[in-house]
Amino acid sequence: MPLIIKDEYPENLFREDGKRLDGRDVNELRPIKMEVGVIKNADGSAYLEWGNNKIFATVYGPREVHPHHLAKPDKGVLRVFYRMATFSVFDRKRPAPGRREKEISMIVADCIEPLLFLELYPGTSFEVFIEVIDADGGTRCASTTVAALALADAGIPMKSLVSALAVGKIDGKKVVDLSGIEDKAGEADFPIAITWYNEEISLLQFDGDMDLEEMNEFLDLAKNALKDVHQIQLEALKSKYIKLQEETIQTKENNDKKGDE
Amino acid sequence: MEEDEESVESDDEEFEDFEDNEENIRDVVVPGETITEDVKNYLPGRGTILNKEKNKIISLNIGLKQIKKNYINVIPLRGFYTPRPGDKVIALVVDKNPVKYKCDINAKDFGQLKPKNTMKKGRTKGFRGGGGTSREEINTEKFDIGDILVVKILSADRLNKPELTTVGKYLGKKVGGIVISIDPPKIPRVIGRDGSMIKMLKNLTNCNIFVTQNGRIWLKGENIAHERLLIESIKKIASEAHTVGLTDRMQEYIINEKKKRGIE
Repeated sequence: MPLIIKDEYPENLFREDGKRLDGRDVNELRPIKMEVGVIKNADGSAYLEWGNNKIFATVYGPREVHPHHLAKPDKGVLRVFYRMATFSVFDRKRPAPGRREKEISMIVADCIEPLLFLELYPGTSFEVFIEVIDADGGTRCASTTVAALALADAGIPMKSLVSALAVGKIDGKKVVDLSGIEDKAGEADFPIAITWYNEEISLLQFDGDMDLEEMNEFLDLAKNALKDVHQIQLEALKSKYIKLQEETIQTKENNDKKGDE
Repeated sequence: MEEDEESVESDDEEFEDFEDNEENIRDVVVPGETITEDVKNYLPGRGTILNKEKNKIISLNIGLKQIKKNYINVIPLRGFYTPRPGDKVIALVVDKNPVKYKCDINAKDFGQLKPKNTMKKGRTKGFRGGGGTSREEINTEKFDIGDILVVKILSADRLNKPELTTVGKYLGKKVGGIVISIDPPKIPRVIGRDGSMIKMLKNLTNCNIFVTQNGRIWLKGENIAHERLLIESIKKIASEAHTVGLTDRMQEYIINEKKKRGIE
């Protein structure tokens, strides 16, 4: 007999001291770590740790389109491949791309496409490969965030970055950045992505129940939280170069001092 | 093998890009970052765009901010090579047929090298218009798959595949030596202002260097020790391309390394 473990959710998603199960406040994000240029042979790459999520993204392009019939004569195409590793979730994930993978690939591509100047590269493709190594809620948002970072690292002209995040309702309270268990046991789940060029909403999905007024509140909540995510993205891109600049200046000063002595 | 090979010149603007500023730290900007809100005095130049309300100039690339007259430019730190007519590039023959060679020039399309573009003009065309075999068949025997060529780009645009030629000064097949590749946006830094960096590298390592716009560098030295030192130096230049005073620092580095390794 195979061992069958049923999903059991706790009754309360808040602890007695008013914090969430993982010890966060209502408006607190999970710890985020981002890095660019992690894969040497790709044109651009990025790595993201967002709570328990661990995601790699690589970018290749512009290059020829395969299969060739997908090429468009007047503009380039952006293709996103979202995949989950078999060991990324509790039950083994079957490696073949299913409905969910195809959906997330599509929404990530639609989310980023308005930021690129695809009309400058007719007949070519930009390919983004997203590999989820470890998943714990909100991978579609995390994937969007890391894909934008990898595209910027590849040196592809973009109007701005895009950041995404899920807000939702658990036990009647509005919270940001849902973790895996909150996503499943909560009442509403509301992923949002914002492109920072003109601050437009690029992704909006919804599952659960809430009324229209609550929705407006959620949008404000998400926008404030996304500003923090955007700041981390900018730092991740810049830090590599700024660190080197500072080091060279330091060594120069040290050499000058030695010369004076 | 020609002894005194000149590095390929890019347009003069490119050299100034990196060296013009005298500030110590140059601002690194990323896509979407606001560079200035002063749209009355500045115009968006290379790598920048106005936002929809036309009250901000924002960057499109990850790169260094540069102000030239009243234009604001962003010099990219990462990116890909876009072929332009007149560029001399290092190509790798990947396929051949009786009509053309297919060459990898590190761009989005393969370059096309037709046999008519490999023949020098004014050459006698065989005995009274040729013999039994077709001339084109003979001509495609000239290069093999896997050969390294230095070619000039005749035509290139967004839609069509770039057309190449091997007729001209310094062009043709390369025999021997090593080809390495770096990020194409960092090529101006390897050349330096008025070729200062490349002259220094040549003098100190006694190597022949040929730098091309598509990010490939051909080099050949007296022995493997010199070549190895040169390759390491070029990689170092590429990784520190955005810093100030690079030529002096590289000179110091190479002299120190030569002492350490015990090579002349």
